Amino acid sequence: MIMILSILCHWLIVLLLAPFFIGVIAKVKAFFSGKVGPSVFQPFFDLIKLFNKGAVYSKTTTWIFRAAPMVLLASVLILSLEIPLGVFKAPVQFSGDIFFLAYLLALARFFMIAAALDTGFSMEGMGASREAFFSCLSELALFMNFITLALLAHSLSLSHMIGADIPMSWSHVGPALLLIVASFFIVLLTENYRIPIDDPDTHLELTMIHEVMVLDHSGVDLAYVSYASAIKFLIFSGILVPIIIPFRTGDLVMDMLIFLGGMLGLAVCVGIVESSMARLRLNRVRNFLLIAFALAFFGFIVTMWRG
Amino acid sequence: MTTWIDASCIFIVFLSLGILATYRIVGIIKIFAAQSFVLGLVLIFLHAHNLSTRDIVISLGTMGLKGVLVPYILFWAIRHVSMRSEIKPVIGFGTSIVSGALLIAGAFWISLSLKLPGKPVSDLILPCSLATVLLGFMIMVTRTRAVTQVLGYLIMENGIFLFALSLFDVMPAMIELGILLDIFVAVFIMAIIVNNINEEFEQAPASVSRSKMGETF
Amino acid sequence: MLSILIMIPFFCALCAFLPLTKQFRYKLFFVVSLIHATIVLLFWQHLPSPEFNGFLELDQLGLIVLSIISVLYLFVSVFMAGYFEHEQRSNRTVTACLLALLSTMTLASASRHMGLSWVAVETSTLFSAPLISFHRNQESLEATWKYLLICSVGIALALMGTFFLAIAAHDVHTLLLPTLLNNASSLSVNWLKLSVIFLLVGYGCKMGLAPTHSWKPEAYGQATGMVAVLMAGAVTQCSFLALMRVGQICSKTGLTDFYSSILILTGLLSLGVAAIFILSERNIKRAFAYSSIEHMGLLVLGLGLGGVGVFGAVFHMINNALAKVIMFLTAGSIAQKYGSSRVDEVRGVIHVYPVTGMFLIVALLAGTGMFPFATFHSELMILNAAVISKHYILCVFAVVCLGLMFIGMARIILDVVFGQPTQPVLAKKENFFMNFPIGIAALLLIGLGLWVPTFLEKVIRHAALLTGF
Repeated sequence: MIMILSILCHWLIVLLLAPFFIGVIAKVKAFFSGKVGPSVFQPFFDLIKLFNKGAVYSKTTTWIFRAAPMVLLASVLILSLEIPLGVFKAPVQFSGDIFFLAYLLALARFFMIAAALDTGFSMEGMGASREAFFSCLSELALFMNFITLALLAHSLSLSHMIGADIPMSWSHVGPALLLIVASFFIVLLTENYRIPIDDPDTHLELTMIHEVMVLDHSGVDLAYVSYASAIKFLIFSGILVPIIIPFRTGDLVMDMLIFLGGMLGLAVCVGIVESSMARLRLNRVRNFLLIAFALAFFGFIVTMWRG
Repeated sequence: MTTWIDASCIFIVFLSLGILATYRIVGIIKIFAAQSFVLGLVLIFLHAHNLSTRDIVISLGTMGLKGVLVPYILFWAIRHVSMRSEIKPVIGFGTSIVSGALLIAGAFWISLSLKLPGKPVSDLILPCSLATVLLGFMIMVTRTRAVTQVLGYLIMENGIFLFALSLFDVMPAMIELGILLDIFVAVFIMAIIVNNINEEFEQAPASVSRSKMGETF
Repeated sequence: MLSILIMIPFFCALCAFLPLTKQFRYKLFFVVSLIHATIVLLFWQHLPSPEFNGFLELDQLGLIVLSIISVLYLFVSVFMAGYFEHEQRSNRTVTACLLALLSTMTLASASRHMGLSWVAVETSTLFSAPLISFHRNQESLEATWKYLLICSVGIALALMGTFFLAIAAHDVHTLLLPTLLNNASSLSVNWLKLSVIFLLVGYGCKMGLAPTHSWKPEAYGQATGMVAVLMAGAVTQCSFLALMRVGQICSKTGLTDFYSSILILTGLLSLGVAAIFILSERNIKRAFAYSSIEHMGLLVLGLGLGGVGVFGAVFHMINNALAKVIMFLTAGSIAQKYGSSRVDEVRGVIHVYPVTGMFLIVALLAGTGMFPFATFHSELMILNAAVISKHYILCVFAVVCLGLMFIGMARIILDVVFGQPTQPVLAKKENFFMNFPIGIAALLLIGLGLWVPTFLEKVIRHAALLTGF
């Protein structure tokens, strides 16, 4: 019973927080381009609007196309249970849950790619192929980072890996953690389709990756996809922020505030990166992701060296 | 201070890795300049507890020569020619990044069996300097542009210099300054030759066969 | 005295950059070479005292290298008088760089500090680079580029080796050779081994030993004859001197076997590579460059074999330098006369220029180590050392390589000398100033082959003992 309650609580927090950070990024980008920009709660209004609409389906699509957004949202919601949010411990944690995390991400991605192919639209097929290629590379870096963190924490559970041992690791293998943070930041940008990998605001199908895959989704389906993207961003920053923060006060309120501040700071950072960089040419994205892998690998080596 | 030295060493290798993924020559020169600045800083971090005039002179010398003068000369060398980005490296950028990562692993593996005498300030200096040397060597071997090859050589030299910092007390200051000066002159001559090569290739009419042009004496 | 000997050419090099007439620059060069030779001659009377806290000190090994440098400069300065008579180009860069090169090589031969030696060798690389690109055409620039890049890498590796040596000598806190030798027992052997490998690869690169020899045919093929003489006879010897210094350290620390085994391996590889590549060569200068690789291999082989081999190697340093004078100066004078040094364009030299043609034959005999020339004796000594140390297979291999070298060289030279005469492009007469130094060198080499003066033998013996192999 308590278990169910805690899961529901966790979901509530996730669902409330996730669109907010997307709004923060949009606000920062607006600020840097000299505009006032929409309110930070705009994503909520957008989602509410979409939920009130009906969906239109093309005649060529099958059940896969309809199932994909639901699978996507369901898997990120399940994933979010593995992520500790500040003082709220993760309701689901077991040894090896990082593999569970990676495979759930892969499942969601598989369905999205299948749905994109299902439409029979050549642009979406192109986006699907790019998505498959880039996520393949970013997964490499992601796993390399997880391996290093697992080595540091002597555990295969995500909650332990980014848990209380991190401050100790900073004093011991600080340089390695720096590399992991840099590498993970690139992974975060990739997995959330942000500049310099992909431009979420672009309207040119040729250069899009993620946005082009969801061109055919409408109404509730689009709401599912957008909500899932927001939650995914929350998940990734929820992993990165505890790694970056090199201390824990022990005070519940204080820790929670620091965590939220960190999340906010990360969103602002992403906003700044988005406003100050240009999108990379598609053939250079690969090198960028390989650099992320090389950094993660380097971090791994330094950890082994110090360990 | 050890934390700072560690971070600088990692950063130096990180910058060398960055060069592997950089297309534009101007970008590579800038990264090299940044690397040389960090190198100068490492020297100050190493002797932060009792900084002598000699440390400051060599540190400033490194920053001035490698961080400012050498990049300036290289900018001068590429200014007149349409030498903006790397063309057709021997192995692709992606491959070179992955092999760069492997080289770093190799450098750490070699360092396992090398024990520095005495108590080194940071155990990362040796592997990081070896990694930088290897990466510089790889850049030199795999890139086709003359300027990029010079930069590879300079990065290699940076790695050697980083290594030299860890045994600072053995070499007299004069020798170190001599080394610095040598590198400077080397780059100067290389830049002039790069310039000459470009002029020569621009002037050579297409009808003149290469074998006729050379080897007159 | 030593510092004066280093400073004079250096300041004159600076002077040569002033706007002077061609004649004056030439005279300056000649006078400096003469002064240098005179002072070095004085050193043969009694060795100069150490300077700068022992950083500069001349021992027998250094004296031999220094004398080789000095003699080569004398030859070249005479040859230059003839060469620039027909050359339109200004001799500013050439003179300045040659003088600066003289200064750095003197420093290299007199240095007793491993770090200072490195600086000297590196600087000599830099000053020799502009000399190769004298003709300023595509190929010579490419050759210069190759030379600079490969040698710079080698030199960087040598620097790395010097640092490893510094770590090995951590307890001694200096890289001064006498201190290192006196405290040899306190050196860390593992680091020393690593350092020896790096130093051998690094200085070997500068010397033109096998795996890193590829710059040599290019550079010697493009450089003018005089420059090629100095590079093949003098610059390489400075690197070899450094390798012998490493040998001194190794013999004191019980690494003799380790060092000599890699020396022998490198030497054999150089011999093999030179013998194979010369067979398909159609250019005199490039063929001579391969011969230089072969001789470097012989030097290293002699040092590695030890005993009488070291004596042979030191003796061979002198003979090799003289042989290179004959070979490259003749090649240079042909190149100037015909505007090429390719076999297809230069044939039947003896019908047009009898003296030069004869010198080419002499160059062939001297370069391949035929009897009346002293190269024969030194090569024999090195082979003898191989037999004494029971390396029979090695000895056979070396003899086969020498034979192949002879075939390769003779094929080209005989073609050039006796072939169907081609039209000499620039029909110029023989030039006395160009032929005189070649003739003297040939006579000296024959003289050394017939009789080695006692004082010279004493110094060579002493120098060979210094290495301790």
